[in-house]
Amino acid sequence: MAVNGNGKANGGPAVNGRAYPIEDHSYDVIVVGAGGSGLRAVVGCSEAGLRTACITKVFPTRSHTVAAQGGIAAALGNMGEDDWRWHMYDTVKGADWLGDQDSIEYMCRNAPAAVYELEHWGLPFSRREEDGKIYQRPFGGMTTHYGKGTAQRTCAAADRTGHAMLHTMYGQALKHAAEFYIEYFAIDLIMDDEGRCRGVVALNMDDGTIHRFTANMVILATGGYGRAYFSCTSAHICTGDGGGMMLRAGLPLQDMEFVQFHPTGIYPAGCLITEGSRGEGGYLTNSEGERFMERYAPSAKDLASRDVVSRAMTMEIREGRGVGKDKDHIYLHLDHLDPKVLAERLPGISETARIFAGVDVTREPIPVLPTVHYNMGGIATNYHGEAVTLKNGNPDTVIPGLMALGEAGCVSVHGANRLGSNSLIDLVVFGRAAALRCAEILTPGETQPDLPKDSADFALARLDKFRNASGGTPTAQLRLNMQRVMQNNCAVFRTGEVLDEGQKLIHDVYDSMPDLKVSDRSLIWNSDLIETLELDNLIAQAVVTMESAKNRTESRGGHAREDYPERDDKNWMKHTLAWMDEKGKVKIDYRPVHTYTLTNDVSYIEPKARVY
Amino acid sequence: MVEFTLPKNSKITEGKTWPHAEKAGEETAFRIYRWNPDDGQNPRVDTYYVDRNDCGPMVLDALIWIKNNIDPTLTFRRSCREGVCGSCAMNIDGTNTLACTKAIDDSKAPVKIYPLPHQPVVKDLVPDLKNFYAQYASIEPWLHTTTATPEKEWKQSHEDRAKLDGMYECILCACCSTSCPSYWWNSDRYLGPAALLQANRWVQDSRDEATGERLDNLEDPFRLYRCHTILNCSKACPKGLNPAKEIAQLKKAMVDRQL
Amino acid sequence: MIGQHPNEMRTPMRRVRGLGPAHTGTGHFWHQRVTSAAGVLLSIALIVIAIALLGRSHAAAVQILASPLVAILMLLFIVNSAYHMWIGMQEIILDYVHEDKAKLFSLLANTFFCFAVAFASAFAILKLSFGV
Repeated sequence: MAVNGNGKANGGPAVNGRAYPIEDHSYDVIVVGAGGSGLRAVVGCSEAGLRTACITKVFPTRSHTVAAQGGIAAALGNMGEDDWRWHMYDTVKGADWLGDQDSIEYMCRNAPAAVYELEHWGLPFSRREEDGKIYQRPFGGMTTHYGKGTAQRTCAAADRTGHAMLHTMYGQALKHAAEFYIEYFAIDLIMDDEGRCRGVVALNMDDGTIHRFTANMVILATGGYGRAYFSCTSAHICTGDGGGMMLRAGLPLQDMEFVQFHPTGIYPAGCLITEGSRGEGGYLTNSEGERFMERYAPSAKDLASRDVVSRAMTMEIREGRGVGKDKDHIYLHLDHLDPKVLAERLPGISETARIFAGVDVTREPIPVLPTVHYNMGGIATNYHGEAVTLKNGNPDTVIPGLMALGEAGCVSVHGANRLGSNSLIDLVVFGRAAALRCAEILTPGETQPDLPKDSADFALARLDKFRNASGGTPTAQLRLNMQRVMQNNCAVFRTGEVLDEGQKLIHDVYDSMPDLKVSDRSLIWNSDLIETLELDNLIAQAVVTMESAKNRTESRGGHAREDYPERDDKNWMKHTLAWMDEKGKVKIDYRPVHTYTLTNDVSYIEPKARVY
Repeated sequence: MVEFTLPKNSKITEGKTWPHAEKAGEETAFRIYRWNPDDGQNPRVDTYYVDRNDCGPMVLDALIWIKNNIDPTLTFRRSCREGVCGSCAMNIDGTNTLACTKAIDDSKAPVKIYPLPHQPVVKDLVPDLKNFYAQYASIEPWLHTTTATPEKEWKQSHEDRAKLDGMYECILCACCSTSCPSYWWNSDRYLGPAALLQANRWVQDSRDEATGERLDNLEDPFRLYRCHTILNCSKACPKGLNPAKEIAQLKKAMVDRQL
Repeated sequence: MIGQHPNEMRTPMRRVRGLGPAHTGTGHFWHQRVTSAAGVLLSIALIVIAIALLGRSHAAAVQILASPLVAILMLLFIVNSAYHMWIGMQEIILDYVHEDKAKLFSLLANTFFCFAVAFASAFAILKLSFGV
């Protein structure tokens, strides 16, 4: 039953003297990725009567949304006064004013309804003892009255919110009998001559067959590319496949220089310890036992925004106040908290700390280190989720037939730095928005023009090239080279010098791609090949990240330049757009930040100094 | 009838012993099941030597180390590497568990690694779990309500929410179901501990209004009652859950509604 | 795929849903538990009776067995055990015998055997009791 490259040609193009049989599928909507945003879009489109398929390289509940811990932000006001406008203010400030305020308004305003919807679908939120309403915890950067008080806004299912959410949404997808193509790896987009996205080509890992999906709308919900770095909280599957596909299709990515370091990745394993641990009262100390965050963020302290805390920790370590044998990490204390609270609200991280750091959280501090966690950048979109690009002078030109969501997209609600618990709400609010937009602009069963005969050639040529790659560098070696460069030259603090070096080094890695060696020549579950295709996606984004970082000569949110320590609103209040050609040459241009809101219910929040 | 021996094409042969890494420090031997659907050969067990000075502490670290440094064709699922996604479930040292949370030092050397038992094998350590996933879908894992949906949330008491603890954490890794002899013999008709635990998660949810229908759907000599309280499931669960207890709760609910 | 299900062309959901739930099973489940509890008590009674019979002559033994209390206990023991055995054996057959004809045959054989054993034993006790 094995179908391999030597099988009979079935209309597929001949590549490398062999032919890959192709199976064709046609849908109204194709969603690539089955994480939080992908599933929400799948559910929404199915509900709207659109014939929807979801292509995913892992079984849906194994998507990385499953690892989100702390919670999902929405101004429900269950724990005290709250207002979506305050949430909006916090998000704008967290984003260091690089976020598009129309999108941010859309997200914060629709957040409560999105959370209630998840609850109605069965998500097992933790509850308040008093009245059985959803429990909400404090999180970094979340305030009331425009920065004056501390907000309890983050709805949680203990410290397994992402897990509970992903399973709940997969259940909804099952309820709506959504069609899944599980363990299908999307190779490339199909773009037509007019620049419309027409579908995707995917490899069925289970039997090695090639599938061509055509649709009137392709939604990329492929997640971030954390694995471009050596140490990250991201799963092995976080290889930014959508971003790679975009760059190869000659389309730009936005704000790629903004990479979030989560303050509390376990040292040295990199596993995530939720910010909720600090929300529940945990705090950081240096080698002198000092709660150093009081110096860096006198008012928010340990609950300052993630970029602020990560920089503070890095400063402490740099100045010799790190803990451990090599003084290269920091302690996170939970040992003062009531063991009952730990057991009820933070059971997951208690287990993770025990397994990966050998620490009993009720007695000892957890060794932690800022670790790559989230990519604020991605595929530029409007608040409907439609992918946009700069074309003929219009920075908001919609790319027809293409949408992007979640970490793969850049709406941009997170701007230069995302607030904890804003990503889960981003997923569901914009997943829903994209589905609504599809329902609005698509007609179920609409016919699609025939595809050009060579529509799969690009993808298959690439697949074939890597499958038969017989150079001298194994995929793992090249990947490691890339990860080391990104870790060393594009980290928490950046300088022109280090980025110049990084630019040279990352291009060296990119240029060595033709020397790749793939050992597994099969097509059924060829994970060597899949990892190589993933590496190809990663390296493109790594190059773009480095170039964008070098290009932006200011400090803003997650992008901290020591040679340009100040935010420069005059010159840099704009989104970076980066294109890359086959040779790895990067072209940079800009899109203006949306300095307007969606409605008159709230006015544009003017930039000011960002102090926590 | 129950199969007590492997079919001819599944008999495992002795495989290759791969060379030691250059300049290896302390080493641990790994004996790993290999089967390639493309080469027409029987499955085999290969031996690898992992340089412990260059490798993380977990079995998954060792598998990745082997894939990166010795044999890129070694195939296994993995994702989160922190025990929440459930991808890397396999049989390690005779026990179904997650490779990412199982320390190498907790196994006897050589560490023996096989795919999850009694599932079709796609390649190497990758089992076919389609049947398992269909069983999960068959218990309808979503909230059923008919009462008008409130504007805000359904209220749930602290105590009622606590009843879901020990169930909602399930990561669908299939360690429990594939450790259950009853599931081995009847996986086409017996739902297995994972799906039954999930069924009970919805039966116990105070917000759900379809408890009766859910129980009706399980009222069957095979779906539910192939559980003979063997308890392998509870022993295997890498998340420390107790599927056997949840199944017992289901059976109790079944009896309760008759009395 | 190695070790694949023979009906590989059917979807997994088709296999899992199968013929739908039988809407039975719970009866057997709790009957099995009740009969095992009853079995413990009745076994004690049976052991006491057996000890009482030790070293007795045939006539004396018949006299004891024919007494109404002992006969009723014996009958209960027989019926309870046969029912318990019937359910238990059926469970084992459902566990291990999958081929349709073999399964039907074993289930019938089990039923016939349990009935036969129960009726034969009951007849023996009744015969002693009524002295026919």
